[in-house]
Amino acid sequence: MTTQQSSALASVRSGIQRFGGFLASMVMPNIGAFIAWGLITALFIPDGWWPNEHLAQLVDPMIGYLLPLLIGYTGGHLVHDKRGGVVGAIATVGVIVSADIPMFLGAMVIGPLTAYLLKRFDALVQPRIRPGFEMLVNNFSAGILGGIMAVVGLYAIGPVVTVVARWLGNGVQFLIDLSLLPLVSVLVEPAKVLFLNNAINHGVLSPLGVARVAEEGQAIEFLIETSPGPGLGILLACLCFGPRVSRATAPGAIVIHFLGGIHEIYFPYILAQPKLILAAIGGGMSGLATFLVLGAGLVATPSPGSIIALMAVTPRGEHLAVLAGVAVGTAVSFVLASLLLGFGRAERRARREEEAEQATENQESTS
Amino acid sequence: MSSIQGSDIRKVVVACDAGMGSSVLLTSQLSRSLSPHGVSVEHSPVDRIPEGADVVVCHAGLVDRARKRVPDTVVIGFQMFMGDPAFTRLEQAVRDGSTLAE
Repeated sequence: MTTQQSSALASVRSGIQRFGGFLASMVMPNIGAFIAWGLITALFIPDGWWPNEHLAQLVDPMIGYLLPLLIGYTGGHLVHDKRGGVVGAIATVGVIVSADIPMFLGAMVIGPLTAYLLKRFDALVQPRIRPGFEMLVNNFSAGILGGIMAVVGLYAIGPVVTVVARWLGNGVQFLIDLSLLPLVSVLVEPAKVLFLNNAINHGVLSPLGVARVAEEGQAIEFLIETSPGPGLGILLACLCFGPRVSRATAPGAIVIHFLGGIHEIYFPYILAQPKLILAAIGGGMSGLATFLVLGAGLVATPSPGSIIALMAVTPRGEHLAVLAGVAVGTAVSFVLASLLLGFGRAERRARREEEAEQATENQESTS
Repeated sequence: MSSIQGSDIRKVVVACDAGMGSSVLLTSQLSRSLSPHGVSVEHSPVDRIPEGADVVVCHAGLVDRARKRVPDTVVIGFQMFMGDPAFTRLEQAVRDGSTLAE
């Protein structure tokens, strides 16, 4: 590959990273709300831990209104600060009302878009406002633009996004029906390691998962990217058979990855030895196949992807299925990674050579 | 290639994709060794690195994006999240006041 090609590739990568990062950064600051909703759902719905009709009333407004509004606000805020957040939230109401599915994707589109329009308007008009009229102009420009965009969202953006979301959801459903879902690991695992993990999970999979939870009570989409199994298998293999450098850091990395849920910590081990990506893909596929066969799913996105977070958002009675999928993913990726590392053979040879060299040096110095 | 004197470093920003996960982990690690020298360590998303950072630390895979955001600031890329020589270099520069280059 020429340098020109590789730099073009790098700029494509950082472009995708940036776009995905933007999607993720609309969702990630609001994960506390997702968790609150997930826990309330798991506890109080009719087949939850403590079924309670009164408290279960909290579920629908949270998923239908609170979460999309937070996303729309955050998306607007990213583009044009607090004013952008406010108009983003106003406009989001339009897409919420237009659809009978939770409007996450719609909020991700209309929130930033409305804030951008306001930003352009402000740049044009604010320098020309007569002194003393700033507050009047600012409040009414936000109110009028937000109101218009709420109508646009209701009639135009909402219906379009609903169709797109249906297609995406049907695509995943198609893969599930044909038992082909494990194939997505071929895309997801390498993309994760290129730091697209948040973009994939929060930008794509969790909006799809939320729609499925609203219909079926749980979603396998939440498990695709977040299962800590494949990464754990790779770290364990590095601990047993990896180069000496990684052997020293692997125990700490295992704790941070598996319990802390910060998956980024294992990416460098793969980036240093790219062949290990095959182990991650294998672990991801086998884990997903297990989830699929056992009908496992989660009620909310576990973030960070720690085993503790996974267990907390697992619906009642599904814990064994989720644990089984994580365990299978771990075992398969561990075995594959160990094979790829030659069970430490290369490493042992390197050390033997080093020792031999040292021995000869010692002999030379003593003689 | 920008560089900075270790004694001029007052604020280090650790950046990751979301500014919530791995960067927070590193921030708590780095501030343990750097704060005794009067250096503050913050974390942020890589596309929203705040103004006034003297040194930006991020994973090698995100360095391009960090450079685009703060072209005039020293950006240190690392490979491993633990025990990377880049952290040692930063800590040494702060401790001795020596030059830190990218």
